[in-house]
Amino acid sequence: MGRLEPPPGALTAFDHSPHAWAAFNRYYGTLWSEGLVDQPTKEVARLRNARVTGCGICKNLRFAGARAAGLDETHVARIDDDFAASDLPSRWKLAIRWADALITAPDAVDEQLRRDLLAELTPAEIVELTATVTIAIAFSKAAVAFGAPPEMPVLEVPTPTPDGSVR
Amino acid sequence: MTWLPEAAPGETPLDRVFGLTPAAYARFRALYASLWDPTVIDPAVLELCRLRIAMLLGAEGERRVRCSAARAAGCTEAQVSALAGWPESPLFTDVQRLCLGFAEQYVLDPHGFRDEDFTELRVHLDAPAIATLTLAVAVFDALARFRLALDVDPVADRPEVVSGPHPDAASLP
Repeated sequence: MGRLEPPPGALTAFDHSPHAWAAFNRYYGTLWSEGLVDQPTKEVARLRNARVTGCGICKNLRFAGARAAGLDETHVARIDDDFAASDLPSRWKLAIRWADALITAPDAVDEQLRRDLLAELTPAEIVELTATVTIAIAFSKAAVAFGAPPEMPVLEVPTPTPDGSVR
Repeated sequence: MTWLPEAAPGETPLDRVFGLTPAAYARFRALYASLWDPTVIDPAVLELCRLRIAMLLGAEGERRVRCSAARAAGCTEAQVSALAGWPESPLFTDVQRLCLGFAEQYVLDPHGFRDEDFTELRVHLDAPAIATLTLAVAVFDALARFRLALDVDPVADRPEVVSGPHPDAASLP
């Protein structure tokens, strides 16, 4: 994050706004650790956005909860332009389609995608997945805007929690 | 009206949809309210950025909402009406123009930012204001996409001033 340096002793530039940053982390952590949708499904959608948005940080982070629940690098490699023809589970393909719609045309969600979502997920789960992906879309742009490195090694990190604790 | 077949209790369409995940919605409301701190950044600037983002993404319902905090800070309906032509309009201050340019770049093409863009921001805004502006623009982007994808429009069919944002609000328009 070279264009806006963190305050002394802090990790991110958002620490300049500690009250709002804490509120963001409580929200994001709630979606990830107190949610209804399994973590691999949300992680697949998050990683799809990271690839499409081209965030060098987001696309190389792996949330530990999703890994522990079975999402491995073989799966992650298939979250590409040929995902539809891959052997990824249909639920994950649906998450990718939903992420693509939210990124590129949230105002033009087609009927078939709506039907497929309603067949796979409860309304509350759809809301949670949508909230998770839209905030991931929006915040991946921050890393890009602040001057994220184009590439970094794949790194497993704790799944976000509302209070910042590690699970 | 949303295409989801269930609804939570609530006063507004957003309450009834986002309220299906009550813990997340409560924390989203807290996040939203935390952005509007006039000691950090001018609420009028945030309001103009929110409405410009809604315009760029085609979120018509979001465009009809007016926050009272921004009205109190001097954001006018004339400015809102001039948002499409903000680069040339005399109704905006230099800081407002700078922040609107930042919001547009952020939403449409964050890879297009240059080091000089942040250098110029630092001339007019301190680091807490830039960090808060970035958080706000991201949240506005996310909320507009959420509304569009799930067809969650505020019910008003014309611009409506709503009180807030308030830190303890149980509802969002």
